[in-house]
Amino acid sequence: MMDTPHNSPEHESLSSKHDYLWDKSGEPDPEILKLEVALSEFRHVSPVPVLPEIAPDRPRIFFAWCLRFIPVLSATAAAIAAIATFFYFAHTRKPPAIAETGWDVSRVAGSPRIGRKIITGQVAATRLAVGQVLETDDHSRASLQAEGIGQIEIDASTSLRLLSMGTGLKRIALDHGTIHAFIWAPPGQFVVDTPSALAVDLGCSYTLQVDASGTGLVRTALGWVGFALNGRESFIPAGAACATKPHVGPGTPYFEDVTPEFRSALARFDFVDGTPEQRVEDLNIILAQARKRDALTLWHLLSRVDEPQRLMVYDRLRRIAPPPAGVTKKGILRLEQPMLDQWWNALGFDNISVWRQWERSWAGDHAPSLPK
Amino acid sequence: MLSTSGDSVDLLAGGQEHRPMTEPCGSGSSLDALLAAAARTGDRTAFGRLYERYARMVHGVLLAKVPRGEVDDLVQDVFIKALRRLSTLREAASFPAWLAAIARNLANDYHRRSSPIQQLTRGTPDDEMKRGSVSPQPDLPASAILDALTSLPDAYKETLILRLVEGMTGPEIAARMGMTHGSVRVNLHRGMEQLRAKLNARLPVKSSARPSVTREFP
Repeated sequence: MMDTPHNSPEHESLSSKHDYLWDKSGEPDPEILKLEVALSEFRHVSPVPVLPEIAPDRPRIFFAWCLRFIPVLSATAAAIAAIATFFYFAHTRKPPAIAETGWDVSRVAGSPRIGRKIITGQVAATRLAVGQVLETDDHSRASLQAEGIGQIEIDASTSLRLLSMGTGLKRIALDHGTIHAFIWAPPGQFVVDTPSALAVDLGCSYTLQVDASGTGLVRTALGWVGFALNGRESFIPAGAACATKPHVGPGTPYFEDVTPEFRSALARFDFVDGTPEQRVEDLNIILAQARKRDALTLWHLLSRVDEPQRLMVYDRLRRIAPPPAGVTKKGILRLEQPMLDQWWNALGFDNISVWRQWERSWAGDHAPSLPK
Repeated sequence: MLSTSGDSVDLLAGGQEHRPMTEPCGSGSSLDALLAAAARTGDRTAFGRLYERYARMVHGVLLAKVPRGEVDDLVQDVFIKALRRLSTLREAASFPAWLAAIARNLANDYHRRSSPIQQLTRGTPDDEMKRGSVSPQPDLPASAILDALTSLPDAYKETLILRLVEGMTGPEIAARMGMTHGSVRVNLHRGMEQLRAKLNARLPVKSSARPSVTREFP
């Protein structure tokens, strides 16, 4: 694409202010808004088309060379397959089904282990099967990959287990340590159990840490993650983080560029059993420092504060992110779920129906597995 | 609050900075590289995610170059071609630039295939405006606005289409197209000025009035 020089005073002046044309920040320019609305009818809307099979990546020369020997190779392969099949059924037991599915494991550094087996190869030659434990020590790291699901980088001092694979929900348990997940499976299909919450991928890339006490932290880089424990839910969009603690569950998510005072107040509010006065004091700090994007935090607080404080949170949230039509003060103060969901959708992070859909499927199939 | 130190997650370390991420988390381009690498091994789900991430970009690039009635079919052609040629992609990280190049090549192929008569009879948007068949007033039809947009210089029309039609932000355009923020910003603002002038004056921008542009190869 053509590109223009940008070391100009024009560029500097353009970059120094809120610029709706650039990043939709600041007050919308009515003229640009009008053009956007008019031109939106030409926007791309087609879903993913039916794509042809992808031929696995192979060197072309080898492929061309192989073509010359197709008849001979076919006959040989058929003979070998017949012999192998005979010996297989005659002399071996069928391996357990779990060996057929799993994640490909590669060593990145040091000596990661699956049970007692040390992984030596950097090419994915080892599989982590359902029920097995993958561990890294202080000096080792590993990588997991599964077709149609994604890739997980495992940091040092980490222990995780594969809980389920196959066509349904894919689950791993992170007992302690750090993973970096890049998931391309459809939202809601990949779940990580931690000692203090479930982390549900909703189409994203994120880092999840769990320490020895079971305390966890998720930081989302792309898309969003859902954190859940016994009905307590947190949604963490890109750029945000959220902690979780055993016996408490997910804390309140926040954008990572909030002030230190905001972070501290939120941490105390979520996880310290302080006096009512201290809680109000912390809440006041949070509300006073909340910016427009901190509607993320305030929306979550609505359902986590006592009734008198809920009105304070509502008033502040209403000012920084007005509720959409149909969402009433009465409904929010009563914590009516449809109204809360409607307001969330209006905040522009993502559509909560994805999560509600996941909840329904989870409740049907996997409810007893929620961590306690 | 949630800084991490050593083996523990410290919930009360207010004011401390987070430990920097140790691995590629945070970069959309690294996710694209992973998706492209997975797609190269035959992972269709990964390729589907690439489609979701890049269909708007491809659509915008094509909309800038070919008649809008042809764009949807060509978007599919671009992805099918990309799918078939994935094995020739040497660096998975260069997937976005590679995909944009395929889109531009297909647009050029389209014009080569079109007969000269078709091209002559199609007319230009500016011709239509001059003939008075459309009005560049505030109630200008969307098709006429798009026509004015596609008559801008290449550097501006691609960027502006991605912004105004596809709804991408400047930072997104820069990331997807492999351009610098400064370049995208300047293209948007200069392009907007020219579009405004076209819509107001009902006249095309004369070629001599066009600012010099340089091509940045990804």
